[in-house]
Amino acid sequence: MNLKKFIGYRLIYSIFVLLGLSILIFTIARVVPGDPVRLALGARASQEVVESVRAQMYLDQPIVLQYLYWVRDIFQGNFGISLFTRRNVLIDIQQFLPATMELALVSGVIMAVFGILLGTLAAQKKNSLMDNLVRLVAYVGVVTPSFVLAIFFVLIFGYVFNIMPTAGRLSSYIQAPPWITGMITVDSLLTGNFAAFFNALRHLLLPAISLAMAGLSQQARITRSTMSDNLQKDYIQAHRTYGIPRRRIMSKYLLKPSLIPTVSILGLDFAALLANAFLVELIFNWPGFSRYGINAILRKDLNAIIAVVMVMGIIFVTVNIIVDIVVAYLDPRIRMGRERS
Amino acid sequence: MIMFSKKFIGLLLVFSLLMLIVGSPAIMAEDSRLRATFSWPTEIDPAVGSDYSSSTALTNLYDTLVYPDPDGPMKPHLARNWEISDDNLSYIFYLEEDVKFHDGSKFTAQDVKFSFERLMAVGEGFAYIFEGRIDEINVIDDYTIEFTLEEPFGPFLSTLTRLYIVSKNQVMDNINHDADTYGEYGDYGRDWLMVNDAGTGAYQVVEFDVGHRLLMERFDEYFAEMHPQAPGEFEMIGTTEAVTIRTEMNRRDLDISDMWQTSQAFASLKEIEGIELVGWPDGGQLYLMLNTTAPPLDCVHVRRALAYVFDYDVAINQIFPGSQRARGPVAQVIPGWNPDLYRFEKNYERAQEELQQSEYHGQFSDYPIEYAWTDEVPDLERLALMLQAEASVVGLNLEIVRTPWMSMIDQAAQPETTPHIASVFVNPHYPEAGSILESKYHSSTTGTWEQMEWLQNEEIDNMIEDALKTVDLEARVDIYQEIQEIIVELSPSIFALDNFEQHAYQAEYIDWPQPDNPIPAIGYNFDVRFIGLDTELRAEMR
Amino acid sequence: MNSKKTEISADYKKKNWLRRKETLQRAWYKFSANILSVVGLIIVIAVILLAVFAPWVAPHPDHAGAVVDFTATMQSPGAGNLMGTDGVGRDLLSRIIFGFRFSLMMGLVVIGLAAPPGIILGLIAGYYQGTKIDTAIMRFADIFLAVPPLILAMSITSVLSPNIFNAMLAVTLMWWPWYTRLVYGLASSLQNEYFVQSAEVMGASTPHILFKEILPNCISAIFTKITLDMGFVIIIGASLSFVGLGAQPPTPDLGTMVADGAKYMPDQWWLTIFPALAIVFVVLGFNLLGDGLRDVLAVEEV
Repeated sequence: MNLKKFIGYRLIYSIFVLLGLSILIFTIARVVPGDPVRLALGARASQEVVESVRAQMYLDQPIVLQYLYWVRDIFQGNFGISLFTRRNVLIDIQQFLPATMELALVSGVIMAVFGILLGTLAAQKKNSLMDNLVRLVAYVGVVTPSFVLAIFFVLIFGYVFNIMPTAGRLSSYIQAPPWITGMITVDSLLTGNFAAFFNALRHLLLPAISLAMAGLSQQARITRSTMSDNLQKDYIQAHRTYGIPRRRIMSKYLLKPSLIPTVSILGLDFAALLANAFLVELIFNWPGFSRYGINAILRKDLNAIIAVVMVMGIIFVTVNIIVDIVVAYLDPRIRMGRERS
Repeated sequence: MIMFSKKFIGLLLVFSLLMLIVGSPAIMAEDSRLRATFSWPTEIDPAVGSDYSSSTALTNLYDTLVYPDPDGPMKPHLARNWEISDDNLSYIFYLEEDVKFHDGSKFTAQDVKFSFERLMAVGEGFAYIFEGRIDEINVIDDYTIEFTLEEPFGPFLSTLTRLYIVSKNQVMDNINHDADTYGEYGDYGRDWLMVNDAGTGAYQVVEFDVGHRLLMERFDEYFAEMHPQAPGEFEMIGTTEAVTIRTEMNRRDLDISDMWQTSQAFASLKEIEGIELVGWPDGGQLYLMLNTTAPPLDCVHVRRALAYVFDYDVAINQIFPGSQRARGPVAQVIPGWNPDLYRFEKNYERAQEELQQSEYHGQFSDYPIEYAWTDEVPDLERLALMLQAEASVVGLNLEIVRTPWMSMIDQAAQPETTPHIASVFVNPHYPEAGSILESKYHSSTTGTWEQMEWLQNEEIDNMIEDALKTVDLEARVDIYQEIQEIIVELSPSIFALDNFEQHAYQAEYIDWPQPDNPIPAIGYNFDVRFIGLDTELRAEMR
Repeated sequence: MNSKKTEISADYKKKNWLRRKETLQRAWYKFSANILSVVGLIIVIAVILLAVFAPWVAPHPDHAGAVVDFTATMQSPGAGNLMGTDGVGRDLLSRIIFGFRFSLMMGLVVIGLAAPPGIILGLIAGYYQGTKIDTAIMRFADIFLAVPPLILAMSITSVLSPNIFNAMLAVTLMWWPWYTRLVYGLASSLQNEYFVQSAEVMGASTPHILFKEILPNCISAIFTKITLDMGFVIIIGASLSFVGLGAQPPTPDLGTMVADGAKYMPDQWWLTIFPALAIVFVVLGFNLLGDGLRDVLAVEEV
């Protein structure tokens, strides 16, 4: 099977998964006790207003029809009204998603780069100081929940030393760049506003590290173990006897094959990162999509909950497709089309 | 080559890390912004918002015909003065003539009429206050308007503190006609007013990040008085996270804290140099609402027993320091409260006596009592744990449930789903006992979060209606006080404490003059135009 | 004849037992060679003992319940209370010890409920690899895997109304597919092994093949995953509690304690730091143990 066919297959398959997810979450959100309309309008709203909104939301229809209407509305860009912001959830997504994407991307880069870097360093010499140090860091990262890490960071860097910002995306004395992509770092670079760029980066650092730590540790552990396994392999040993410098062996012959397991769990790590963003954005007061999501969840804001879950599903599925393609590229042996479990 | 690039990259990394940590605080724009935190969400559509942060925003963005006067009845505001007919059915208001909206247009009587009609059509927020009260509104000329009432309504002038005036032209220009929710008025400007303002207030919206923050700037053509150092900008920030607030106040990046901090947090904020606490009884009260339809709380003796085991001293000294012992159903700053009511004290013997008279005596273990609290106010958990421990002394079994605010509103809709006990702060909507008595105990307000008692007492209903129709203030207060006596007798709520609204603020560079008597109407105590901000001093302290 | 048979079987049993003993000894030797694994085992045993004997170990066992003492609120760690007291005067150490109970219970209940159906579905799908049964099961599982488990678990708990029961239910609902996926991978590679095929030829029933032939060969991987998962489920449970969707007061739950304590930072730091460290401690124990098991049982990847 060629690459195009493989991608096509993955796409179609993902659409079915997302369809299933939408049915699942829609059903859960609709069987709840309580009256979403009353919640939206408040107890003092008159009965006529309530009835008209109920009809607008198709709540007087059977649930299967409600679902179909809902799907139709989504394709028209109507995700329903959020209780929290009282406007179309789509507008909320547009407003809040870039902040989370910015955080997740920076965090993902930290996770991948430092994870692989540390893992490689540790694999150079087993049981060396570096190796043990990396293993220690990796353990701390895996066993410390991100929200605990975030709280520690706020306490240490925000309060005890007071050297890093612990809330928001930009200090209020900085002129914010105009909204282009919604990601402040990108927008400020595009408009040459370096004060804003560095300030935004400073705000990003602590939440991004809190988020990255778990995945970073995972990556470091896996890179380390595959690399040290591969180091023992015959072909590497052979290269060594030829007198090829160690550094060259590392970068040329070892890195690529050793990255395969690391990259294939990147998708899972990214998912964990997105999930943890729900707590970390809350702690750092990060005005992003996950904070919006957790507020929606805590307030039982049904339209918003459905949208949040769906958007997360779409991001997650997309990341997994990309990961699959990268793995297929790295490892020609993987027969495309065959499911990897 | 590899060596070089590695060193280079290393240097680059170290350099950027240094840049990040040291930062660039030197680049500071001219900063005249006052920053304060609030609990979110905030709704700035005057026909939608009604809670604390929304009322505060509305007070700063919009004006009302009258303004609450801490020392007496209503003060003139957009209305210069008014006349009331002998039958108390017609109110004629003479309006200020040189008031401008934020878009530069002039304020006239047409705007008042439009604002009222829009409020009633949208029907949310404070609309219910006027429901069925007003017969017609008659614009006599540009600066004279007449309200004709359906029947006499004693607190009418007070209620006008919740009629925020919007600019008719500006709203009409921004109507979304794609929606037909309100017929020819389209969406009545809701989409637009959700994130913009059309008011005359001392501040106007610059930017509203729904769900996060609201930035306003001073309106320099404001018609009424202002502090000479009134802040150039006012930012409402939607967080109550204790550590954040603490850190930002320490850096002078935050000027005024929200009121929802724990007593410990306030105490440690006060430790920071230059920060003081300011507070006032805000007219609200913490009620432990007892669902009078749910056994065993449908028995008055059990309700009284609970009122006898509640530790009032711990509540006001340990859990909510600064607050005051409640006197009864009406807070002691609201006109019309009754100073002679019976007051429950903690007394296990009296509690036991009451329980013995109860029809449920001997079977209390079969009736667990569900106690719901909302985590928006963390100290409420301590209050719940206190009552749980005290009640177990007399053999009552309480189950504590942390309930998100939205679920609480949801549960309040039906007597069957309403928890046995719910601890909630309630404020009057307009500064008079009638407001709180109606929203807490009149049958028409059952199903709202403000009345989870489900009292449904016909006698009280009639008395409240009578009082509201009584125009003579003294006669009205007499009825109010009588109602309060009956309510204490029935004990549908535990009157935990009169709320003390508290803020930590940067006293060193903020001048926040406090009236001798607070204004018992939420939002009005946070009128930013009366606050002075010394920006130079702040810059020095940073 | 009869007696001889018994003899043989007794002899066989003895030998078998000796062989097992030897295997165990060898495994223990391998396991104990790694000091970290032993530390993990010690932590796990300590936590389990603390949880089981909490009423006898905790200095103030009654403080796990509805007790308030407003004369002793917010005391910093010291001689009277090793880890200080909270906002209503309860001893923090006692509450943390009881908190281990709920953490372990969360892990046990969720994995206890999620693993069996997950494993069975994985076995079936793996055995019938390439058929419609495989497709149906695995696609169904993939729906649950399409969103990070924490997000869906939070949504479900909130919609159902937050309490510890619903929290467990929601996490369980999110967790079974991971077992399905693991077992599916193992089972699909085993289905072509000679012993499975010979069992098929001999006419063994499908349940026999699934549970007697394939499952035993997956056990070590499953066991390792369960150990590692204890830690992760505890983190997920703590995360749910942290946002208020888990256990309700006065239940001493570590996640709830971290969240409540965070409101009193940084002055009453012990209210957050100790419960947070307690979570890290438990999770670390299960992780070290799981990694040790993985090395001993030579499980490739879990």
